[in-house]
Amino acid sequence: MNAKTLRVQAYPALLAGTGRQPLAFRCDLAELAQEDASRATLIALSLTGQALRFEHPVAPPNFAVEPVVHDQRPIMADRMRRPLLRLLNNRRASDDLALALAWAFGKSRVRPHPFDLPKMDAFVRANSEHLGLTAQQWAQQRDDSHPAPQGYFDAEEMDETTWTRGTPGLRARFIAERRKHDADAARALVEAVWAQENADTRVRLLMALETGLHDGDQPFLESIGKDRAPRVRALAQRFLARLTGKRGEHPALAACVERIQRSTTGLLKKRAALALELPATVKEHEAKAWIREAFAEVSFEELARALQLTEAQVIEAAEKDANLSLALALMAVQDRRFDLLEQLTRSQISDAWEQLGQCGPFDVSVMTAEERSKLASILIAPYGGKPPASLPAWGWLHHVLEGPAPPQLIESVLPSLRWLTQVLEENKLGTEWMEILAALCQSTHRGRLRVLMANIDPALTQTALPLLDILDSLEKTGHHEQRKTSSEC
Amino acid sequence: MALSLEKVEALAPDQSSLDAARKLLKPSSWPAVASNGAGIIWGECQGSGATPYRVVVSETDAGNKCTCPSRKFPCKHSLALMWMRAEGKQAFIAAPVPARVSDWLSRRRGSGTGDDSKEGNAKASIAATSASSSQVETDPKAEARAAAARERNRQEREASILNGLDDLDVWISDQVDRGLAGFAAQSTQVCRQIAQRMVDAKASGLATRLESLPARLFSLPESARPAAALEELGLIHLMAEAYRRQETLPAGLKADVRQTIGWSVTREALLADASAIRVRGTWRVVAALGEVQPDRLRRLETWLWLERLPEGVENALRFAVLIDFFPVATGAASGGYSVGDRIEAELVFYPSAMPLRAQILQSLSGAQASDAPLDLPEQSLDDAYKSYERALGIQPWLGAWPFSIRGACVRRHESQIYLCDSGEATAAVALPLRPAQFSDASPLLSLAKLDAVGLWDGYRFTLCWAETELGRWVNA
Repeated sequence: MNAKTLRVQAYPALLAGTGRQPLAFRCDLAELAQEDASRATLIALSLTGQALRFEHPVAPPNFAVEPVVHDQRPIMADRMRRPLLRLLNNRRASDDLALALAWAFGKSRVRPHPFDLPKMDAFVRANSEHLGLTAQQWAQQRDDSHPAPQGYFDAEEMDETTWTRGTPGLRARFIAERRKHDADAARALVEAVWAQENADTRVRLLMALETGLHDGDQPFLESIGKDRAPRVRALAQRFLARLTGKRGEHPALAACVERIQRSTTGLLKKRAALALELPATVKEHEAKAWIREAFAEVSFEELARALQLTEAQVIEAAEKDANLSLALALMAVQDRRFDLLEQLTRSQISDAWEQLGQCGPFDVSVMTAEERSKLASILIAPYGGKPPASLPAWGWLHHVLEGPAPPQLIESVLPSLRWLTQVLEENKLGTEWMEILAALCQSTHRGRLRVLMANIDPALTQTALPLLDILDSLEKTGHHEQRKTSSEC
Repeated sequence: MALSLEKVEALAPDQSSLDAARKLLKPSSWPAVASNGAGIIWGECQGSGATPYRVVVSETDAGNKCTCPSRKFPCKHSLALMWMRAEGKQAFIAAPVPARVSDWLSRRRGSGTGDDSKEGNAKASIAATSASSSQVETDPKAEARAAAARERNRQEREASILNGLDDLDVWISDQVDRGLAGFAAQSTQVCRQIAQRMVDAKASGLATRLESLPARLFSLPESARPAAALEELGLIHLMAEAYRRQETLPAGLKADVRQTIGWSVTREALLADASAIRVRGTWRVVAALGEVQPDRLRRLETWLWLERLPEGVENALRFAVLIDFFPVATGAASGGYSVGDRIEAELVFYPSAMPLRAQILQSLSGAQASDAPLDLPEQSLDDAYKSYERALGIQPWLGAWPFSIRGACVRRHESQIYLCDSGEATAAVALPLRPAQFSDASPLLSLAKLDAVGLWDGYRFTLCWAETELGRWVNA
């Protein structure tokens, strides 16, 4: 019996059961089977098994064609790969740490090593837009919500022909950038794809149109007045109200104005005084969240117009109402009116940083790096050399800046180990605060921060110190590549 | 210095051990830490009791010992000592090896200590053992009685195994009579029963193989299970038949079949075997794999690659595997060597028709982490597969077989990744990678060419190491 006979004859019988389908023995086995059929069956089994082991594994008829990704970013330094994986897989590492790393990758224009992507899958999926094209491809291939890969683009490499294939965040950023240079052309791009987009993307694209909003946008905004998504309708109405100046068309503004009590104050010179009346159902600890929600869709300018006051008068009139001052600060941040914010922090709400921090995260995606830095400087200034010991405030600042803070902030922390230790103990702050400190620290101050951290309990700095090393390395790799590129040019 | 934070991580039984070790990094916890400058470090860690725990670690192979009662291995004290050494922040005073440390070193099984100053002592202790045993006045009658008892036990075990094999034949016949198409579905129950019978028959190797058979079958796609069951039962019968006829087999194959059935070769017997193959050279750790066996032992395999083939040594001996067993309860997850380590050592191979399993006879240098690429010989996947078939012809119950391949690539078909020769439109040989490697191996799909080392078990390929244009890829 040869291998072929065994495969064709013995194999089916052994699978079906020799009780039902007796084996047809041949040659030597036939003789043996006459004496001992059971033994002959076992030999046939062994021979068939061995014949199967010599069969080549079946090759598939074809293989998938893998997408070609030209990722021009340099790969991070080899010696930092293990520390990075250790950090990201450390159960004590906070979300802020992952964000700090992602933003650092994005700013330095460095990418993680492709072989490490599977080992930090969750990080890559959550932050792919900062990690380069290879990471974007990895994330999109594993994202079940996309029926097919959408394409992989860095924001800098997008143009009018490819912008629709990026992630929603990148697309909104692209449109906002285009609006600065040619608002009509950017709107035309949005109009062309509007019907195919889902509600989330439509909201993002519409928010991007806020940059450079002008009369030419009115027909488009009117055309989407009956959009099926309520958020889109509300946003369109808000923009229209801003353009046309019609108060009745802005329900959120109307609701806010209803809550603001107006009176007059002063003996010789009468001036307006404003007070925000919170709903009776809103408890004290819920006040900030309510203010945030109520004033989210209202701009400073709209409110001033509705109250028939100038912006400066509104600020002056709100000086005795802390809640209204906070609401004004919120609107100033949203509208990027840093002049008004500075006025507010100087005169009324010196702890705006902490108060805004308690309001929750902000969508600052349309702010430029300079604007964010300016915002941080304004908020930090009233604290002088004594920054707050509130983790939400530091976390909020980290989210706003997406990178290092203005130097004066870290300089205020660096000189005082005693203050740092005291704050850590009193506020029961742990590794997460150290991570935020490390993330906010500029490269020039990292050496001093390391020295400071070396004197703190190692358990508290176990993630912050490696984070400093990785940030340093990413920046170094990025700078090196930039120098190389510029010298080649 | 061979210790690194990566190695400490790999050795740690679990995250909580590492967390506990971190708390011991303070110098105040360690009244004394010392090193002999030749790969041995030791220290005393102040625990909650009056007496400090005494810890000793061999940097060469991460062997360690602590006097604490922890059931974890390594314990937090050993991990902390290794951690401090790897970080290099704590100063280790140079000191001669104290008695308790040299005592531990002399009792250590296996891979040498790297302690050159004491190497002579270690050798001397083996010699001294034999010398002292010859000096001890022995009672010839007692010796004879003991030898007779051993022989009687051996014969009884042989008879017991042969009886067990007869029962095994009956059991396999029953399965074949019923048909193997549905064997996998009921394999858990039926295999457990026959495995217990094999334990009673003192055929422990066969028992383990039978008990783990259902797990092996269920790791395959459903369509492949009937054929795999047929192969496995055929193979088990082949082993039983070979055992019955062992006297007619060549020496290597006879040794193979006896080890497969359950006769173990002790390290002492292996070292005393003058005919055992010995190879001295520079070895690279290309894979470190772990598997929990049904008998609650963790089997740790460290696969080695001989960097330069000495004259007169066959190419087949380029690979070696060190196998260690640890109780699962200790949590030990690493054999002490990390992938990429370079070891200068003399290995002695267990007798076999296709020698792979080995022991370190003498470690000439400590394990050194190395980034140097592997210099693999020019061999395509097709050639490597032919070598595998030749080996299978010599040793029919061959297990995992190591491949070294130049110019390969990985390609995807649906959710399965295959290893193929690069540059061929249609693959002559395409070996499916383990499904568990799908994610880790995915980044390799974008590469046109790679040199690889891996293990083929007849069903799945375990990619262990790849040299690529993006650097080294290793199995996580």
